[in-house]
Amino acid sequence: MNNTASPATQQTAIVGSRSTDWQGEVMQKRIVRRYAAERRFKYLGLSAIVISSLFLAFLLFVMIGNGIKGFSTTQVAVPIDFASATGGASPEQISGEGAERALNSLDIAGVVNTAIEIEYGAEAGDIFTENSWTDVRDALLSNPDMIAGNTTVWLTAKSEIDRAAKDETDEKFEALYAKLKDAGKAQSGFNWGFLTGADGTDPARVGIWGALKGSIITMLVTLAMAFPVGVLAAVYLEEYAPSNRVTDFIEVSINNLAAVPSIIFGLLGLVVFLSWLELPRSSALVGGLVLALMTMPVIVIAGRNSIKSVPPSIREAAMGVGASPVQVVFHHVLPLALPGIMTGTIIGMARALGETAPLLMIGMRAFLTSPPQGLTDPSTVLPVQIYLWSDEVNRGFVEKTSAAIIVLLIFLLTMNAFAIYLRNRFETRW
Amino acid sequence: MMKKLSIACISVLALSACNDQASSGQGSARDYIEIVGSSTVYPFAKAVAEQFENLDPSYKSPKLESTGTGGGMELFCAGIGPNTPDIANASRRMKKSEFERCKENGVENIVEFIVGIDGIAVAQSKEGTQFSLTPAEIYEAVAANPYGKPNTALNWSDINPSFPSTKINVYGPPSTSGTRDALTELIMEVGCKTDAATKALKESDKEKFEEVCHEVRTDGAYVDTGENDNLIIQKLSANPDSLGIFGYSYLEANMDKIRGMPVAGVQPTYDAIAGGEYPGARPLYIYLKGEHVNVIPNLKEYVTEFLKAGSSDGYLKKYGLITAPDDVRTKMDIAISELSALDSAELK
Repeated sequence: MNNTASPATQQTAIVGSRSTDWQGEVMQKRIVRRYAAERRFKYLGLSAIVISSLFLAFLLFVMIGNGIKGFSTTQVAVPIDFASATGGASPEQISGEGAERALNSLDIAGVVNTAIEIEYGAEAGDIFTENSWTDVRDALLSNPDMIAGNTTVWLTAKSEIDRAAKDETDEKFEALYAKLKDAGKAQSGFNWGFLTGADGTDPARVGIWGALKGSIITMLVTLAMAFPVGVLAAVYLEEYAPSNRVTDFIEVSINNLAAVPSIIFGLLGLVVFLSWLELPRSSALVGGLVLALMTMPVIVIAGRNSIKSVPPSIREAAMGVGASPVQVVFHHVLPLALPGIMTGTIIGMARALGETAPLLMIGMRAFLTSPPQGLTDPSTVLPVQIYLWSDEVNRGFVEKTSAAIIVLLIFLLTMNAFAIYLRNRFETRW
Repeated sequence: MMKKLSIACISVLALSACNDQASSGQGSARDYIEIVGSSTVYPFAKAVAEQFENLDPSYKSPKLESTGTGGGMELFCAGIGPNTPDIANASRRMKKSEFERCKENGVENIVEFIVGIDGIAVAQSKEGTQFSLTPAEIYEAVAANPYGKPNTALNWSDINPSFPSTKINVYGPPSTSGTRDALTELIMEVGCKTDAATKALKESDKEKFEEVCHEVRTDGAYVDTGENDNLIIQKLSANPDSLGIFGYSYLEANMDKIRGMPVAGVQPTYDAIAGGEYPGARPLYIYLKGEHVNVIPNLKEYVTEFLKAGSSDGYLKKYGLITAPDDVRTKMDIAISELSALDSAELK
C-alpha cells in the first residue's frame, strides 16, 4: 500500500512545485513504458498479419503443390493397326453426320481392347481402365484419316500408373511404370481431359469442365435474377417508399434475410421450386434461383447504402433543371451509386459461388459424366464437385480435389477482377 | 452507360430464357435416366453409368444421386412423371410401408432386381486355430460396450470357454469403410439383438442402442487397418492368432494364405454368401419404375447393362461386387425381359 502511494505523492509534489520535469526518473520511466506499449501494439498487429498471411501461404502452397499434379497426366502407347482391325474402313465412313454411330458399328472398343491385349497381355488390366478406348474414339472423331493407317496411339493410363509416375505408391505399380518408361511406352503431359471432361470413376479420367460449366450457368441465373430485383428494390426503398411501419418492417426483414444460414434457402428451394413449381431437380436453373434468393438481400443492403451516399445536391440540381423523378434516378442517382452496388454484388456472388449446402438440398450433387447442355439439365457446381471428390476412397482423387480448388479460386478471382474493372470504370469522384 | 448496362442485363435474361426453352423444348419428358438411392450401391452404379454412356452415341449420361436407401425410396415413391426418379438403388429390400406409399402415389409397377451381393468375411491365417463364431460372440469380442457394460474380455476364452485362450486381436475396416457398415449392420447388430433388453433399446432409446450395438472397442483389441485390405492379409499371415474382417472378395483372392472362419456355423464360401445362408451377406437391389419404361429412353438398356456388369466376368467384380447365384441371375434376366411387377406379399 505504501509502495504505491509514495510515487504518487512524489509526483504531486513535483507537479506542485514546478512545470513537468521531463528528465526526471519517474517521467523517463513513464515515457519508456509508453513507447513499450506502442511497440507491443505494433508487433501484435504485425504478428496478426504475419499469422494470417502464413495461413494463406500455407493453404496456397499445399493446394498448388497437390493440385499442380492434377493438371498432368500419364499416357501409355498402344500400336493399333486400324486398317486391318476394322477391315479397311475409310475415313469418309467416320466423318460428317453419324460419325459416332459409324464408329460404334466398327466396334472401336473391341479393336482397342484387342490391341491393348496383344501389346500388354495380362498387365492390360493394371495399365488401362475399361474406358481407355474412348480416347481413341475421340481421336478418330477429330482426325478420321487415322482409321486408314497403322498408328501408335497414346491412351490415358489408369490412376495407379499416373500416381506411380508422380510419387511413391505401390511397389507393383512403381515397377510396372518403370518398365513402361524404360521401354519408351509411357509419357507425361498436360491433362487436357481435366479441362474438357466431367466426373468419372477413375481419377485419371475425370474432368472439371462439367462442374465449371454448371457453376457458370448457375452464376448467370443468379446474377440475372438477383441483380435487377435487388437494385430495383433498393431504388424503390430509398427513393419512393414512404417511411412508415411497413417499410421499417421490410427493412428489418431484408437485413435478417441477409443473415439467414444458407441451408435454409436450400430447404426453401426444395419446397418452392421443386415441390410447388415442379422445376427439374438438380438443374442449374433451380440452383441459380436458390442462390439468387440468398444474394438478393446483400445487393439490396449494399444498393441502399450507396444510393443513400449520393449527395442530395445532385438530386436537387437534376430536379432544378426539370428532370422527372424517374430521370433523376436513372440518369443521375443510379450511375453514381453503381460502384457501391457492384461491390455488394461481388460480395454476394462470391458467397454464392462457394456455396454447397443449399445446393445439396436441391440435388445438385449427382454423379454426371457429361457437362450440362442448358438451364434445365442436371448439373453440379465446383464446390460440390470438390466436396464429392474429397469423399472418394481412391487416393488419386486427392490431387484432383486440389486441382479443382485451384480452378474454383481462378474462377472466383476472374469474376471479381471483372466486377472490379467495371466498378472502376463507373466510379465518379466529386 | 446506364443504357448499356440495362441492355446487358436484359440480354442475359433473354439468353437464359431462350436457353431454357431450347433445352426443354422437346416436351416435358426427360431424355436422361434419373437414379437415386443407396450409398453402398453408388460406386457400382457409378461404374455402370459411366460405361452406359459409351455404349451407344444416342444414350445420354444418367444422373446418379447418392441419397441413401431410405432417402432414395422416398423420392422414388413420390409419384410418376419426369420429376421423379426412374431407378432406386437399395442395400436392403424395399419395405412394405415403402411399397404401400409407392402404390398410393401411383407407382404400381415396380420391378425388382438383385444386382449382386455384398458380404463380409471373418478370416484368419491358415496356421491359426480355427473355431466357429456366432454374431453374438463377434459382437462381444469387438464391441466397446457389449450389452451396455464396458468390454473386459481379453482372451477368446473369456467369451466362450471352448475357444482357445489366445488374445483377442481383430484387424478390421475403419469407420469410413462400407465394409464397416456391413460389419455393424450384419454382424454386430444381429449379435447385440440376441439380448432382449438391448433389443428393446432400439425402440425406446435409439441413440443408446447405436452406442451399445455399433461402437467398436478402442483399447487395442480391434485395430482399424485403413482402407487397404491387402495390409490386413499380410498382418494375418504374420500373426496367426489374429483375426481379420474384410470384404469377401479379398478372402477369395488370398485363399492360399488365409481361410474364412465359419460364422454361425456357415463357412464364408461363394455359394453360402450367394445363397444367403452366410450371416454376413446381403443382396443389393435396384428398383425400376415400370411406368417409366419406354417413356424415359433406354431404361431397359441401363438395367441390362447393370446386370451384365454384375455377372461373373463383368467389370463390377473389380469394384468388389459379389455376383449373385446363377438361379437369381436367370430370374433377373426373365424379370428384365418381362418387366414383372413386384408383389407386395413378398415384402416385409
